[in-house]
Amino acid sequence: MARLLEDLSKNLFKQSGIPVPQNIVITGAGEAEEAFARLNGAVVLKALVPVGKRGKAGAIKFARSAAEAREMAEQLFGMTVGFYRVEQVLMEEMLDIKEEYYLSITIDKANKTPVIIASTKGGMDVEEVNREHPELVGKLWVDPLLGLCDYQARELWSELGVTGRLLQKLGSVTSKLYRIFEGNDAYLLEINPLVLTLDDQVVAADAVMSVDDSALFRHPQLLAKVQMGTERAWRPLTELEKEAVAVNEADPYRGTARYTEMDGGDIGFMCGGGGGSLLLFDALRSQGGEPANYSEFGGNPPEDKVYGLTKVILSKPGVKGLFVAQNITNNTQVDVVARGVIRAVKDLNIDPAVFPIVVREAGVNEAEARELFSEAGIEYYGDEITLTEAARKMVEKMATAYRQEIASGKEGR
Amino acid sequence: MAILLDRNSKIVIQGITGREASMVTRHTLDYGTPIVAGVTPGKGGSDVHGVPVYDTVKAACAEHEINTAVVYVPPAFVYDAVLEAIGSGIKFIFIATENVPQLDAVKFLALARREGVRIVGPNSVGIISPGERMKVGAIGGDNVERCFVPGHVGVISRSGGMTAETSWMVKKAGFGVSTSISIGGDPLIGSTPVDLLELFENDPDTHAVVTFSEPGTRFEEDMAEFVARGGFTKPLISFVAGRFTETLPEGTVFGHAGAMISGGTGKPSQKMKKLREAGAYVAEQFDDIITLLQQVLG
Repeated sequence: MARLLEDLSKNLFKQSGIPVPQNIVITGAGEAEEAFARLNGAVVLKALVPVGKRGKAGAIKFARSAAEAREMAEQLFGMTVGFYRVEQVLMEEMLDIKEEYYLSITIDKANKTPVIIASTKGGMDVEEVNREHPELVGKLWVDPLLGLCDYQARELWSELGVTGRLLQKLGSVTSKLYRIFEGNDAYLLEINPLVLTLDDQVVAADAVMSVDDSALFRHPQLLAKVQMGTERAWRPLTELEKEAVAVNEADPYRGTARYTEMDGGDIGFMCGGGGGSLLLFDALRSQGGEPANYSEFGGNPPEDKVYGLTKVILSKPGVKGLFVAQNITNNTQVDVVARGVIRAVKDLNIDPAVFPIVVREAGVNEAEARELFSEAGIEYYGDEITLTEAARKMVEKMATAYRQEIASGKEGR
Repeated sequence: MAILLDRNSKIVIQGITGREASMVTRHTLDYGTPIVAGVTPGKGGSDVHGVPVYDTVKAACAEHEINTAVVYVPPAFVYDAVLEAIGSGIKFIFIATENVPQLDAVKFLALARREGVRIVGPNSVGIISPGERMKVGAIGGDNVERCFVPGHVGVISRSGGMTAETSWMVKKAGFGVSTSISIGGDPLIGSTPVDLLELFENDPDTHAVVTFSEPGTRFEEDMAEFVARGGFTKPLISFVAGRFTETLPEGTVFGHAGAMISGGTGKPSQKMKKLREAGAYVAEQFDDIITLLQQVLG
């Protein structure tokens, strides 16, 4: 899932015939007054960051004069919203609101079909509306093979009590939104609020859009617009995470190497397999260990990728040990893993005699891996121990190594 | 007996001439699983390790009796390949391909439901019934016996790699598997754990089931409800990985795409609680699977 910023989503909406407020993107508070003049009237200023609930975070401001617009822009550009520093602000005309509605499209995983959710009570959290006034929320499960028929879109709003010209307008916006959903392989589309203005126009005052990254190959026009890599982290990527992305992208089709930094921790976590990594992280923690990062590698990565990822993992300040483990595989060449890990350890002048390292790798060319690790003085296991046992050995080795360090430190005094 | 795959399975591999499919074909034949045909458009008339290749599934079905399709085509072509298999009347389709666009999956899953076709995957590493020496997918590779030996324990895993490790734990406990299934790591997949529990319930050769789970989805919650209402009456041993993700900010994706937590549903601790309340044996540590199996089957 890859997110689009609001201005880009709104452009797409506009191109598809869904009215949006007139807007201008500014990249500094100095541009605020001129932009205000071009929008003639009161404006809304929104921080362009890929996070939800910006209103609650104070990242949406209002201004009725050029001076006020500049002041609000200055406030926004000094903010960090949900870990994202504000680098762009969307300034748009303030709508004269008569009513606020809600409209979204996503895929219902349980029913395995697209679902459209509409409400005549917009502008607030739809889950909350659904809890307190379920009669104001309508849901429509779309047959993916037929697509959405216009009459179904009208039925949805009609059952919420909408009539007349407004019913036609809301029906039409819903049909258009579904076409955007299908046409761009969207993962989520949400308009909250969908505004009815005093002059009876239906306008998308907000636009949330994320697309399915597995389908980006057929939407080259979206590639440059989406925020890639944001799906794995709750904050912008750190320097080491960016390095890990570069390591992975250097050879994108052979194996994977993913890296996410944790706050604190001292065990470098170099683990493989989606499920295996989840299990091993839990196993270290439940035995008192504290991983410094999360990682996933797999699919038979080449030596350079293993080397690059290991180096990233070992470069995080505070890392005092390395845990290399994976479930039993039938496609990972463990001798290649061994070469990559050993090269990174040597490059960083790490001495396995004092720096705790435990490896549990069972796969292709195990005998050779065993030999390589043993030559390098690294504690290695194949399938003679379980994953849980490997995690225990790692935690014990950390405890032993650093207790001794403290002890010998005392002796020295 | 086993589920999904037995000696009556007549397999066609779509995309058989691809690098990975060709390797998997060799390992599968070496294991003793017959593959009756392969399909790659434009490569009809050739063969892959002795398996005849056809241009279309229809042409393959005209020459052979086929009831199982294995899809190994690239992501962009999976939708068409699945429709082609359904169009030829094949009722069981296994999809190995990863990164299938969601809307494509939504569409072919809807068609499969309408046509009464069972799908496993996408993004599955394989299915294996060791007692029948039948397997589809890369599962087991060229060293199948290391993890998969015949027996009476069913294995359902949301992680491909952990399908092998979990089956190996069954072997370590002194037992073997009837059928092990990697259900696929995507959020949108054909057969869910409940669908498979239903098959295992009706398989006299399966005496217990072990499941490996991850955060996200409602699969485990659904399993718990299914067990609670008597849909599955054999011992169920479950392990849920990824408890640490609960301490991270919401919306973070770890593991497979399906492992996304949103709005409180899909949390490992909740899944474990519900399974336990339903009467499943929930393993705290992965190693506990060994003792639990010995306890319920010993």
